[in-house]
Amino acid sequence: METSATSVATPPTNDSGYPLREMVRVYGAVGGFARSHIVIGWIVLFLLVWFFNPIKAMPYPSEVLRAFQRMWNAPGSSGLVYNVYVTLKLNIVGVLISSVLSLLISYLAVIPLFQPFNKFIQWLRYIPIVGFNLVFLTLFAIGWPMKVAMLTTGMSFFLVTSMTSVIASIPRMKYELARVLGYNDWHVFYSVVVRPTLPAMIDMIAQNAAMGWVMITAIETFNRTEGGIGSQIYAYTSTNQLAEVYAYLLIIGVIAVIEDGLLSLIKRVLFPYSLVAERA
Amino acid sequence: MTDNHTDCIPGPLDQMPARLETLLHIEKVGKEFPMNDGSTFVALKDFSLEIQNIKDKPQIVSLLGPSGSGKTTALRIIAGLDKPTSGCVLITNGEGQHLRPVRVGDVGVVFQRYPLFEDLNVLHNLIDPAVRSGMNKDEAKEKALRLLDEFDLVKQGLAWPLQLSGGQRQRVAILQQLMLDRHFIILDEPFSGLDPVNILNVIKLISNIAHQHTLNTFLIITHDVTSALIISDHLYLLGRERDKQGEPIQGSKVMKVYDLIAEGLAYRSDVEDLPRFVEIRKEIRLVEFPKL
Ligand SMILES: Nc1ncnc2c1ncn2[C@@H]1O[C@H](COP(=O)(O)OP(=O)(O)OP(=O)(O)O)[C@@H](O)[C@H]1O
Ligand SMILES: [Mg+2]
Repeated sequence: METSATSVATPPTNDSGYPLREMVRVYGAVGGFARSHIVIGWIVLFLLVWFFNPIKAMPYPSEVLRAFQRMWNAPGSSGLVYNVYVTLKLNIVGVLISSVLSLLISYLAVIPLFQPFNKFIQWLRYIPIVGFNLVFLTLFAIGWPMKVAMLTTGMSFFLVTSMTSVIASIPRMKYELARVLGYNDWHVFYSVVVRPTLPAMIDMIAQNAAMGWVMITAIETFNRTEGGIGSQIYAYTSTNQLAEVYAYLLIIGVIAVIEDGLLSLIKRVLFPYSLVAERA
Repeated sequence: MTDNHTDCIPGPLDQMPARLETLLHIEKVGKEFPMNDGSTFVALKDFSLEIQNIKDKPQIVSLLGPSGSGKTTALRIIAGLDKPTSGCVLITNGEGQHLRPVRVGDVGVVFQRYPLFEDLNVLHNLIDPAVRSGMNKDEAKEKALRLLDEFDLVKQGLAWPLQLSGGQRQRVAILQQLMLDRHFIILDEPFSGLDPVNILNVIKLISNIAHQHTLNTFLIITHDVTSALIISDHLYLLGRERDKQGEPIQGSKVMKVYDLIAEGLAYRSDVEDLPRFVEIRKEIRLVEFPKL
């Protein structure tokens, strides 16, 4: 983020003469400098609301800070680092496996034989994953294997839905172009279906990662043997230690933002064309 | 291979070129669409057209018709992208081959909206299809670079399609089809949206490519009368018949054919100055076109 006092006197050229006005215009032209101020403004507003919030159930920033200190100093499996590590590992492995699985199931939907299976997976997202606890329990050992299985399965239901909609929105024109160029089925599959949709697939993974965090905390509540943020939140809630709960929620938020940024970086580096906007 | 400069001689031909075998045979093609109100719309009815191989010349045929007359509908059927409701399209695939029903991929198509692979840069939009059709990688790259150079697109080689101007995009779309050594290419509205200079450039471009091989056949779909007259050896008018009250009857067909070879207007670079050219253009513009 660029921050320099001189920039105030000479705003970047892509800022218009009235940055304040541009900030509230439809598609207003604000430069990176003004944009960073907008973000800072919102963070300040958030902190103010937090400092002066009248809701009793919400701990104040100072309490959360002290909770961080306590958790940091706590030994071993009740410590901050250990539990974040456990959950982060589950999160990363879960996102990776469910992404690969979902890509496979979604891309196969261009083949009529697999369409009903794809539809079924999409429909399953309405079913609460915890309802299958016993099924997972009989198939997988409690702890790590069961957690990974539940998370990847649950996330895949949503990922497949999003990814399939990406595939459904491929313009028919592209398919016809490929056919006219003499492409066979495999060429069409790769050049029209897979390759051009990859950047949108990354977006879908980023969107559904949020769903993953909701599931993780639930799943770790049922599989507490290894610990993890979910099990910690559960424990702290039952002992009414709300500051600790909020500290963990904050950590989840920060990790999510970092992961989001990483995914968009990957997209920009691997698929630079996806940044070029279509013109009328 | 024949030299394209000797083909476009300013002056009448010494003798009429001979017509050889049929390259494209369209017989009584009909196409109906279900409409949103539940009725059926007849876009084409008894649409017939035939392109013959002309000795020592390429074939450039124009299909001329007003907006909505079914030109794109016809193109899609000729390219094998849509099945006709009735009738058939037969094509030869190469020298001395028999006529057989058209299949997708037999005919190169430059679509009205110039689709490209948006995730590939211009160079790879040319190389990829060629390599997939079996061309050697180095050979494809060499040919692509040569074509880009020829058509003033060298600077755009590494650009993404979304970064091209309308005219650049059109040229890339045409070159993409040219990479595949096709003998049959259809172009949908290649003159639309271009300035007069670029229209002439496209005419030159098509005519040059056509003359690189006498087996080359171009079917140009357009509503630009002048350009069609300049470039073609045959001109087909597509439109609807009218009933006694003068109301158009559904279903477009070929209403009139101009044999520009017989008229002495084909293969000449000075064609625009000829009285017969001016006469026919006037006839199409003022008499024929309004009837379609
Ligand atoms: N899929 C479709 N469903 C219904 N009607 C269609 C469909 N495709 C084409 N038509 C109709 O068929 C007619 C011919 O359409 P077509 O696109 O072939 O016209 P065109 O001659 O190419 O016109 P233009 O010069 O404007 O491109 C139009 O009336 C159009 O509405
Ligand atoms: Mg059209």
